[in-house]
Amino acid sequence: MIETKNINFYYGSFQALKNISMKMDANTVTAFIGPSGCGKSTFLRLFNRMNDLIDDTKLEGECLIKGKDIYDKSINIDALRKDVGMVFQKPNPFPKSVFENVAYGLKVNGITDKKFIANRVEETLKAAALFDEVKDKLNKSAFELSGGQQQRLCIARALAIEPSIILMDEPASALDPISTSKIEELIHQLKKKYTIVIVTHNMQQAARVSDKTGFFMLGELIEYNDTKKMFLNPDNETTQNYITGRFG
Amino acid sequence: MNKKTKQKLAFLLFRLFSIIIVGILLSILGFIAFNGIKVINWEFLSTMPKEGMTEGGIFPAIVGTCYLIIGSLIFAVPLGVMSAIYTVEYAGNGKIVRFIRMMTNNLASIPSIVFGLFGMALFVTKLGFGDSILAGSLTLGLLTLPIIIRTSEEALKAVPESYRTGSYALGASKLQTIRKVVLPCAMPNILTGIILSVSRVSGETAPILFTVAAYFLPNLPDSIFSQAMALPYHLYVLATSGTDIEASRHMAYGTALVLVVIVLFFNLTATILRQRLSRKLKNK
Ligand SMILES: Nc1ncnc2c1ncn2[C@@H]1O[C@H](COP(=O)(O)OP(=O)(O)OP(=O)(O)O)[C@@H](O)[C@H]1O
Ligand SMILES: [Mg+2]
Repeated sequence: MIETKNINFYYGSFQALKNISMKMDANTVTAFIGPSGCGKSTFLRLFNRMNDLIDDTKLEGECLIKGKDIYDKSINIDALRKDVGMVFQKPNPFPKSVFENVAYGLKVNGITDKKFIANRVEETLKAAALFDEVKDKLNKSAFELSGGQQQRLCIARALAIEPSIILMDEPASALDPISTSKIEELIHQLKKKYTIVIVTHNMQQAARVSDKTGFFMLGELIEYNDTKKMFLNPDNETTQNYITGRFG
Repeated sequence: MNKKTKQKLAFLLFRLFSIIIVGILLSILGFIAFNGIKVINWEFLSTMPKEGMTEGGIFPAIVGTCYLIIGSLIFAVPLGVMSAIYTVEYAGNGKIVRFIRMMTNNLASIPSIVFGLFGMALFVTKLGFGDSILAGSLTLGLLTLPIIIRTSEEALKAVPESYRTGSYALGASKLQTIRKVVLPCAMPNILTGIILSVSRVSGETAPILFTVAAYFLPNLPDSIFSQAMALPYHLYVLATSGTDIEASRHMAYGTALVLVVIVLFFNLTATILRQRLSRKLKNK
């Protein structure tokens, strides 16, 4: 589904990613772990070209999604971002109603059929396990929801436009334990339909939700393995030290 | 004197000064209100001046000021807001933008009489609009442009970056993001700037002096190329150059009161509107 080949990435003269090659399969959950500042977010943002919004950056290497180089000149970035959804660390609903938040992606992608939009909003809110909690508040401001609900709303918002990949950058780090477990539960459900890449600082979370795990350090991919293997018996000693909490 | 008494003394002093200031402001308002209220009635607001402006009303001046407000907004709002969108959303923070920003700031500090002179040279003479609502509106528009640009820029900058990234991540283009997320969110503050500029427009005399204002017109203006009367200039006329200044003094106070009420009304609306809308948009 996603494949990178020898990725180098620079902020100005600072090299944030070093020669990263990696492959992620469809309908799997891949977790990125590693100490702060090691480049997990940077790497994640490559897949929907969010790094393009940052000035003075440089990319070397290839990044393929469904076999196509997404940095090719022929690629339509808006269409790419429609297919590769993203959920951010801090819930960032728009200052609009719950309904409008979910409908937004549909509207900007040219869908005008009101009935279709209403149906899709309901479907996606259900898929994001949020519908029962907000069905009486669809026209209320999204800011009236709790932090956890807001984050699930942001997931619903991303799901509404039917992406095939969902990128999540520490989606639960700003949430309480119960909201966190709801999100993890949700990730389990979503896996059936979507390919998910999640950045997390929480080892247990990575162990719980992911099929494969990549461990990054100082811009390098130290180890990439099945999550089970990674947490029980990693190939690399640094990984072992990090996972058991000896540093980081 | 020990520290504590010093503190107390300073506090008292500050308090005294602020009371004095509020007192001065209130007495200005009170003076105008007291003298003006006597002549205010429906006839004063709705009829033409009579008897060499010592009787009758100020209707044409109110109408003229309304036209000038609308005219200047039609010109300055789209231009100012679009220019702010350009500098904040598109142009980054390069040399050109800093130059534009410096120019707008300088524009804001030019005395309004200079705008009047410029408006006369450009709109009245060069472009041949003559003394007209069009020329006056454009001149007033220029005057308010820096206010509108400034407040719009601040409004746009106050929109959290995470809204923009959230929108892009859903496949929205930059234009869609600006139209559907950034602008609605910035609107309360932009509106405040617009309303403040309205209160400026309704009060300025110098820019309309050479570009639109008429001493006295027997009829209401019938096109954008007509001259018009306007409240501030009418006040000036009543106070300094009427046929019988003493006899029209009460009319001057009445006009001043109407003008002050209009300006205060717009300022108040701006404040209320901003509070309302921003509460609606606020995160909690
Ligand atoms: N916009 C930017 N401009 C310049 N340098 C940046 C920028 N964003 C990130 N960096 C640098 O790139 C490196 C990787 O950052 P990144 O945000 O990808 O790390 P991360 O692994 O996601 O960290 P965290 O776990 O704290 O989120 C860091 O050293 C950071 O300082
Ligand atoms: Mg990060």
